[in-house]
Amino acid sequence: MNVEAIIIDGMAFALPIFIMAIGGIYSEKSGITMLALEGLQGFGAFTGAIAVLILSPVIGENSPKLIYIAIFAAMIGGMIYSMLHAVLSIHFLANQVISGVVVNILAAALTTFLTSLLNESLTGEASNKIQLGAAPRFTVPYLSSVPILGAFFKDVYIFVPFIMFFALIAWYVLYKTPYGLRLRACGENPYSVDAAGGNVNGIRFSAVMICGFLSGLAGIFFAYSTSANFSPSIYMGYGYLAIAALIFGNWKILPTLGVCVFFGLAKSGGYQLTLALGLSSKVSDLFLTIPYILTLLLLIFFSKHNHPPKAVGQPFD
Amino acid sequence: MTDQKNANPNKNAFRPIDLLADERWNKISIPFITILLTILVASLIMILIGRSPVVAMRSFLQGSGLWPKAVYTPSKGMLTDLFSFLGIFSPMLLASLGVVVAMKGGMFNIGISGQMLASGFLATVFIGYSDLSSTIARPLILLIGISVGGLLGALIGYLKYRFNIHEVVSTIMFNYIISYITGFFINGYYADMITRTSRAVRAAARLQVSDLTFMGQKISFPLGLPIALIAVFLIQFFINRTVSGFEIRMIGSNRICAQYAGVKVGRGLVRAMAISGMLAGLAGVTMYLGYYNTIVPKELSSMGYDSIAVALLGNLSPSGCIFASFLITIFQKGAVYMSSSTGVAKEIASVITGILLLFSATGIYIKHVAQRTRAKRSILPSSNKNNPNGNGGTRI
Repeated sequence: MNVEAIIIDGMAFALPIFIMAIGGIYSEKSGITMLALEGLQGFGAFTGAIAVLILSPVIGENSPKLIYIAIFAAMIGGMIYSMLHAVLSIHFLANQVISGVVVNILAAALTTFLTSLLNESLTGEASNKIQLGAAPRFTVPYLSSVPILGAFFKDVYIFVPFIMFFALIAWYVLYKTPYGLRLRACGENPYSVDAAGGNVNGIRFSAVMICGFLSGLAGIFFAYSTSANFSPSIYMGYGYLAIAALIFGNWKILPTLGVCVFFGLAKSGGYQLTLALGLSSKVSDLFLTIPYILTLLLLIFFSKHNHPPKAVGQPFD
Repeated sequence: MTDQKNANPNKNAFRPIDLLADERWNKISIPFITILLTILVASLIMILIGRSPVVAMRSFLQGSGLWPKAVYTPSKGMLTDLFSFLGIFSPMLLASLGVVVAMKGGMFNIGISGQMLASGFLATVFIGYSDLSSTIARPLILLIGISVGGLLGALIGYLKYRFNIHEVVSTIMFNYIISYITGFFINGYYADMITRTSRAVRAAARLQVSDLTFMGQKISFPLGLPIALIAVFLIQFFINRTVSGFEIRMIGSNRICAQYAGVKVGRGLVRAMAISGMLAGLAGVTMYLGYYNTIVPKELSSMGYDSIAVALLGNLSPSGCIFASFLITIFQKGAVYMSSSTGVAKEIASVITGILLLFSATGIYIKHVAQRTRAKRSILPSSNKNNPNGNGGTRI
């Protein structure tokens, strides 16, 4: 078994799910049920891919700037699209579960349609893919030479520092600032925030936008790394895995990181196991079910004891 | 709301705002507005990409066999298309009934497509390839569809009640697990060498009577159609006229209240999800063993999501679902013909369904604004001159 590969691939799967889950925590802690992560990351990936498609003839296809532009565009795209969920659930008083699913369905339909429309007008053939290539990776000197654990610093995607940066800021803002305190209070007892002079719906709106912002980063990570393109296959259900992760993590950022790393290692471990046993690629389909089955099993053991925010899903009027 | 009765002595006088505010009328008027807005937005999209919306809408109807096409191949005609349309309309109706029953119990079954795939796959493998005669095979297929879907649904209800697992997360997990496992078996053991999808089931087991001639046109009669229509009446009866149905509705509107009233909440949740799953299972067998006659490996049907749109548009009433699934099936079924005649990518059908869902989700807001406006006008009859649409932008 190749332990290094398990860690490298596992972290490349765990970290985007983690940043998405942080977004989910923000939204749910503020009292807005967030089932739309799947759609937000997909839409973010789409806007990032569009930015690459449009700008690559201008600044050169191999320009290193391209990837930063893609990240920026994806995060902004995810943020703008998330406002749809915010408007539906805050201003239009829609059922937040339904609204989340609507946002997911619309994202999948819109991005697929727009991709084939754009491809047709730009290249003449109606393909539903936007080629991106794989993002560069780097290895941290010294740290990566530590046996076994050094793999955490080896072949790291360029997105990882971004994720760590935003995750740290998100942690600090949520737990150490007045805004974070108010945000968490909005999910427990919005009337107390209102009485204290806070703007409940404004805080909730901003929380959903932060969620979209972070999910966009996850989306472009998926599109620009393993799959190397934007296509409808970006909707693989990873957004729902992030929701499951934040539920085990009990709506707290640090435990959620642990769950995400566990997901990642379980997935890449299963894959490396099929390689080590010399099984055919057909069997690897069965191993792809591992994260989903683990999610269900973990939910069975942990869901009973967790405490979702008290006011989640209730519109504040 | 209580002031409004006192302030409005002439209660029976009909005002236009009642169309939206009154519970009797808004069951029809709000879906109608939803549809109108959707068609408007869809037409705008068509104009934006330089196509005629009239031609596009007409070709949606032509593809569904509801409007005559310019040319038909010999022995085919509008009826051929119409019955083909009904062939996919029936599973859509069944699936949306499944969504309705779960929603009445306060749950959201977005695992319809997984339940359809599981039941369709097992029915194909166990009965579809056997050489039983059609009188035995067809009822057995329905039985498998009902039991597989029902068991999956019951399991989700049980997980929800016993372990507090949100049904949206568990159904999605099941969707992917089912899709990968059935994909593995189809690719490995049941694949057709040429199409790479599962081998076609035998004609005797298929839930569709093919190659009938009706009024000089070749048609295939979908057996799902009578099943779906019977299901509408049964579910309508079950929800509105039986004790279990009442209990499910009670749990859906206020679970704690139901518990105090002595309703066994766990049993009700499991029952609602089981029935929802059964309907999804029926939808699965009528689609995979009827309309398509094959299963594409590792592909979940988009019907799982479309049926949510249908259920919301149909106002969560079984009879409303008939009209709503008719409408959404027009877009889904007509998309292929529309795509070939106007050159717009057929994914536009999903976009239109998505927009329809979007407006359906805001239906509660339209009602809210209308009722508030009516209440206000009753108190201040003079204030309605400059604000005919209510104060949609500002909140109280």
